[in-house]
Amino acid sequence: MTTPLQQLKSTSTAPIVRQLLDDPELSPVRCLYIHIPFCFHKCHYCDFYSLVDTRDRQQPFTDRLGQELAALAPLTQNQPLRTIFIGGGTPTLLQPALWTQLLRTLDDHFNLAAIHANDAEFSVECNPETASPELFDILRAGGVNRLSMGAQSFNPRHLKTLERWHDPKSVPRAVALAKTAGIERTSVDLIFAIPGQTLPEWDADLATALTLGTTHLSCYALTYEPNTAMTARLKRGDFTPTDDDLEADMYEHTVKRCADAGLDRYEVSNFAAPGHECAHNLAYWSQSSWLAAGPSASSHLLDPQGGGWRWKNQPRLDDYLHQNDNGHPRAIDLEPPDPSRLLSEQLMTAVRLREGIDLDQLLENTNEPTANAVRRVAADQLARGCLQESDSRLRPTDSGFLVADGLAREFLSVL
Amino acid sequence: MPIDREHIRNFSIIAHIDHGKSTLADRLLQATHAVSDREAKEQLLDSMDLERERGITIKASAVTVAHTADDGQEYMLNFIDTPGHVDFNYEVSRALKACEGAILVVDASQGVEAQTVVNALLAFSQDLEIIPVLNKIDLPGARPDEIAMEVEQVLGLAAEDCIPVSAKTGAGIPELLSAICKDFPPPRESLGDQTRALIFDAIYDDYRGVVTYVRVFDGRLKVGDKIRMMGLDRTFIITDLGKYTPKQTRVKELGPGETGYFVAAIKTLGDVRVGDTVTLDSNPATDPLAGYEAPRQMVFCDFYPATSDKKGNDFEDLREAMEKLQLNDSSFTFQPVHSEALGFGFRCGFLGLLHMDIAQQRLEREHNLEIVQTAPTVSYKVLVRGKGGISEEIEVHNPADLPDMGQVLEIREPICNVEIMVPNEYIGDIMKLCLDRRAVYKSQQVVGDTRQMLTFEVPLAEIIYDFYDKLKGLTSGYGTMDYEIALYRSDELVRIDILINNEPVEALALICHKDRSVQRGRVLLQRLRKQIDRHQFEIPLQAAIGGKIIARETIKAFRKDVTAKCYGGDMTRKRKLLEKQKKGKDRMKSIGSVNIPQQAFMAVLDTGDE
Repeated sequence: MTTPLQQLKSTSTAPIVRQLLDDPELSPVRCLYIHIPFCFHKCHYCDFYSLVDTRDRQQPFTDRLGQELAALAPLTQNQPLRTIFIGGGTPTLLQPALWTQLLRTLDDHFNLAAIHANDAEFSVECNPETASPELFDILRAGGVNRLSMGAQSFNPRHLKTLERWHDPKSVPRAVALAKTAGIERTSVDLIFAIPGQTLPEWDADLATALTLGTTHLSCYALTYEPNTAMTARLKRGDFTPTDDDLEADMYEHTVKRCADAGLDRYEVSNFAAPGHECAHNLAYWSQSSWLAAGPSASSHLLDPQGGGWRWKNQPRLDDYLHQNDNGHPRAIDLEPPDPSRLLSEQLMTAVRLREGIDLDQLLENTNEPTANAVRRVAADQLARGCLQESDSRLRPTDSGFLVADGLAREFLSVL
Repeated sequence: MPIDREHIRNFSIIAHIDHGKSTLADRLLQATHAVSDREAKEQLLDSMDLERERGITIKASAVTVAHTADDGQEYMLNFIDTPGHVDFNYEVSRALKACEGAILVVDASQGVEAQTVVNALLAFSQDLEIIPVLNKIDLPGARPDEIAMEVEQVLGLAAEDCIPVSAKTGAGIPELLSAICKDFPPPRESLGDQTRALIFDAIYDDYRGVVTYVRVFDGRLKVGDKIRMMGLDRTFIITDLGKYTPKQTRVKELGPGETGYFVAAIKTLGDVRVGDTVTLDSNPATDPLAGYEAPRQMVFCDFYPATSDKKGNDFEDLREAMEKLQLNDSSFTFQPVHSEALGFGFRCGFLGLLHMDIAQQRLEREHNLEIVQTAPTVSYKVLVRGKGGISEEIEVHNPADLPDMGQVLEIREPICNVEIMVPNEYIGDIMKLCLDRRAVYKSQQVVGDTRQMLTFEVPLAEIIYDFYDKLKGLTSGYGTMDYEIALYRSDELVRIDILINNEPVEALALICHKDRSVQRGRVLLQRLRKQIDRHQFEIPLQAAIGGKIIARETIKAFRKDVTAKCYGGDMTRKRKLLEKQKKGKDRMKSIGSVNIPQQAFMAVLDTGDE
């Protein structure tokens, strides 16, 4: 829900986009995120405005989205997109006809040459229960070449704890349908450290996921986000959260089990066969520019003068449908470019990545005292065995991945 | 009201806490018509809220009333109220010094308690005439006959001399007043012309400065006299002389045997010493009255502001509050200290534990301050190797100040005489507790059919650690104890250093007996372990004597400190969260890269179960 305060602080981003377009130094934006806000049911842990019966809103939404996409497209300067990611919500709830419309809109306004040549990545988040040959054929025809399946668990008891209601058997079915449709790459999302879950139970989930033959796994430790039903239940004492040491055991087991199956950890919670990493997420984590369309979608646009713009589209569907400044909806949480903030963000994500960061390159334009302070923290963490250096890049070690937040805090404290 | 010396009676009321001392004083005032029934206000002699709340009298005051005895003769009765607690033992003894008699109040259902005994012993040592009074005889549980036997057994005062009273109903009050006139002796004659008056109390008044209470032994004091404090060797001019009846009443002079107050433009309590002798500057006495001692601080601890802003305002607020408190209470001392762990604060010395508690509460209540208090320690006398092989004695009341053990020849600690009054069934437990606490058994005495009085010598350091709590716990609250510091004795005392991540933490060091050091060190480390969060690395906690580790605990490194998700829309929130967490850590004290919350420094104070 948008609070009155957020309304007050909302702003049109049209002038910012215009200003960026006027800057001859602007590099073309090569990544795009689209947010589809529809869901099966109103999830307790979700703060988006969504309706169960969305049929009557899907059409206006798709039309409105088209206008926003058209307004954003000039920022790509007609260069081929490298990644598209359509998330939600439940994007696969969108009716097939509207998918056709959306994919056509993309083709109309963006250069999808690389995507159609399968040289670029086009991912869609998929609820396994919504998989159908018809939908997948439409997606494939529109260039989609990667599906991310929200499995979470294969254990009915744990699915219930998470308030997830899909049939676990729908996951292998959806993966098979994707293959049949010619969508070669699939990823499966899993959650561990669910209250009551044991290490063998988690191992069974992992084993099931790995037998699906997917080349990418996202394994998230259950996080108690503020203002969600899970957190409220935790505070009420309805269940005991997983013990810290067991969670750490589960995580270490995940890393090993995935590695044995040929999926290497390339980010704290993400594991992939070589070459199958999610390019779109890597764009987030390297603080590249990306466009974002749809309610609540967050953009990041590097400014040629240094630093990056961040904002988030109004999350309410109603607001999104009705606010329209030359195609742009109003945005909240606007952060103007700030090179020092960008440096923080880069370090904060680098400690979570296998590819790490080239510190010398990163600190090229940073003043001497700050650069030295960052180097001191890096040296400390190298000595402590949390970071390692190879190919002139600093990377987290196995133990560093486990304490990435601590590493990030150390870096942030000197910036 | 000119009354000859023969008809003056100076006396105190002494009692165990809650046995009804203040109520009895009020009732006596009422009976002598010093206050009307309408004016009668409970516990007239206690002036501070805090005292009334805790049922104790901290500061003595004196009230003078006229009373016509049964024989028709008029008497001047001077009530000298005493602080009941042994922390103020010296003040009690000075107040008693101003008296010829003492009323010993014993609760007729509770019986003789430890504090009754200690106070009675003080009165005996001053050669006072004692009238035992059994109070609260109106209560259903009263056993005046049995308790009278206890008084005879324990204190050697004839059971038949006990006067049963009820301060509440007034029963027995006329008999008590008769006994006061009949049994208490009059003040002795003046020994000469040279004035000598004993200061037995002083209070600070916002309008008049210091109001000093005196008992005149020899000569006279008059308004306008230039007086000399013999101990402090300072002179003042008396501007105001009077008595409380209990209304403040001015008089022109105070003669031999009389008590009253004077005001002499004295600005701080530091300029007046209880126990000092006042004489006239024009015709000074050669010798002061006997028995003057400077107040002795026996218990020390640090006070730090619980909050600290960068400008140090909290420290300045605390300093101001301490200075104000000292205006009212000259028996506590303070000096600024700096602790690596807790910042700027004050090292404070107190007469005892209760005194320390009262000071802390007054600072918090009257000055609205939040205070972090470190574990109390006693004052040790340490014999160290000095220059040229001559040993010298130094006083140490902060474990961190103890010189290197190689230099130390001997550590002597204050030892208390402790009286414990306990129901028979708990004797075994109490014996065990005392022996655990390095007590030396002295004697045992039967008190009535159900109780015994045990006398031990116990190191003060053990008493301030947890002795009283343990005694109360073991006896379901029935045991009572009282103590007075008797002597210094050397023992095998050692300094335990606490190391966190291999760095010694001064604020956590402690002095204790060698035989108890391993146990104490272990308990402290276990408490610390609970207070300090897991870090990125394993944290060893060690207790050491000299270089030798005697106990060890480990805080395991946390294994996982990473958020699962960090995507495009999470960046800002995540960054802000990490920055906030970092700031939270910065507020903690960091020693050897370990963040230590303030509560950890209180872990040494915790006297919970070991």
